[in-house]
Amino acid sequence: MSALGGPAQTGGVQPPTAMGLVLSIVLIVVALALAFFLVQMAGVIALVGIIIGGVLIAFGVHFVPVGGAPAAMGQAPGIATGVAMLAAGAGLAGLFGGAWAAPFGLVIALAGGAIGGGLLMAITCTMVNVIYIFGMGIPSASGKVDKDPITGDTFPEYKSQGTEGHGLPFISWVGGVIGGALGGLGGTLIYLELLDIYQAQLPVILDAAVEQIAPVAISLAGIFAVGMFLMNAVLAAYNITGTIEGPHDPKFKRFPRAVIAAAAASAVAGFFAIALLELVGVF
Amino acid sequence: MSVKIEVGAGGIPHNQILIYGLVGSLILIYLTYLNTVTNTQYFSFFGGLAAVAALIWGTDTIKHLCSYGLGTGVPSAGMIALGSGVIAAIFGATTGIFAPIVTVIIAAIIGAVAGLMANHVVRMDIPVMIVSLIELAVVGAMTVLGLSAMACGTFEFIGMITGTVVFLGFAVEAYGASLIGGSIIAVIFMLGAIAIQHSFNACLGPGEQQDRTLMLAAECGFLSMITVAIISFAFIGLLAAFVSLLISAIGWIYTYMQYIELSKRDAYAWLDAQPILEPKEGGA
Repeated sequence: MSALGGPAQTGGVQPPTAMGLVLSIVLIVVALALAFFLVQMAGVIALVGIIIGGVLIAFGVHFVPVGGAPAAMGQAPGIATGVAMLAAGAGLAGLFGGAWAAPFGLVIALAGGAIGGGLLMAITCTMVNVIYIFGMGIPSASGKVDKDPITGDTFPEYKSQGTEGHGLPFISWVGGVIGGALGGLGGTLIYLELLDIYQAQLPVILDAAVEQIAPVAISLAGIFAVGMFLMNAVLAAYNITGTIEGPHDPKFKRFPRAVIAAAAASAVAGFFAIALLELVGVF
Repeated sequence: MSVKIEVGAGGIPHNQILIYGLVGSLILIYLTYLNTVTNTQYFSFFGGLAAVAALIWGTDTIKHLCSYGLGTGVPSAGMIALGSGVIAAIFGATTGIFAPIVTVIIAAIIGAVAGLMANHVVRMDIPVMIVSLIELAVVGAMTVLGLSAMACGTFEFIGMITGTVVFLGFAVEAYGASLIGGSIIAVIFMLGAIAIQHSFNACLGPGEQQDRTLMLAAECGFLSMITVAIISFAFIGLLAAFVSLLISAIGWIYTYMQYIELSKRDAYAWLDAQPILEPKEGGA
């Protein structure tokens, strides 16, 4: 049951086709080989970082409680908007945090990205519940499980008839924060890997100091990180097909499909991002 | 509790729009090269027109894709289009005169990978998925490249990363004062994304008509063009940017009025409600 129809849902989770699996492995290997051919070991390390970042994004999206249109009417639990919008919000907030902390080194930058994304989701989830509970008079009740796995609160007696649950239970709140943190971490990782590549290559190509090309390198790495973030988030959204309550939702078990898809898509997109400066001045 | 996405039948066949959109945007984007040939900047606005042509095509693609019911909302299709498109557009821009053609090819590759992953790994199993994501990636890439070319007068990478700053009366080259260095590319990204995802999202439902949806797509494109024309004052000559602004404003006013006309045509009834008049002080 999704907000906008959705493709035919057969029982259980359909595994990826053999062709799809082989294709994704071939694409990842080819992208890694081409990256090594063009930028040697630095390219391979950067591309591995980008693939890990893409996988973290796709995995993180599955934690975020997405309610869609039914949630806006208080008929399903979750935040009342689509996956792409929520993921973009959390990822971009994480990216801002990570990009700000980039000069302090890899670990602090990654932590900054994770905290940025997690903080945005924490604020969003809290305000969603403030509006649900105090504005609309809706208690939080999950429709997928009877008991909150963390607090042990029971749901069935609070769930209105004819709905799939409503509000944002604690487990969904926790899921949202974890999802935001993973998304922010992945986005920042992509950004940092690309920034390293561009800061090494741009001064040579343009015959300029690192400080001079810094705006170009940061802007390129940032826009590519945003682009790849949205690609991976939408692939994960297609995997969820509409709404998900959080880590306790049965749909959460589908995540391996999105992880494979995101790894292959990030490998191809990441290769083009790494190889960006190879053709400058050739034509 | 599922909302069915209804699309109107009839209208121009999708393949025809695909050809017009692809060829049209390629030709229009190459017309910005007249800037380099004639050493002026007056032809920058063709980049914006290329983006409008691509957006009209993209809206029709989104209509086809989303009529299958993705379950994720219409905007997600716009997001993946621009997300994969911006990578292809900037990569393509590094190839000089071949930029628009390389952009189309790279976008098609990235879109094909995304489509294959969506159908064979994520198992969406939607027949038009692969073709649609290829088309959407190309549309996103042409939109970004077109609007970028409109803002800085060229579709070449070096032109996008170098700008000039007047310092103590001297014009100094500065990378920070450029389209990419100034992160204007992020604004263009969002302007394109909003333009591509809005039209079908606004028009879907019973009584959806192709000409009305596509007119709204053109209107959104011209609205983005106005913003880019204002941005272009920072990068190209005053008169050239003014020409861009004038053309975008005329295009927007025309498409907006046409869209209102088409909405009136398709509406069951139409009431031209006047603003509520406040009673005069001490009156009555």
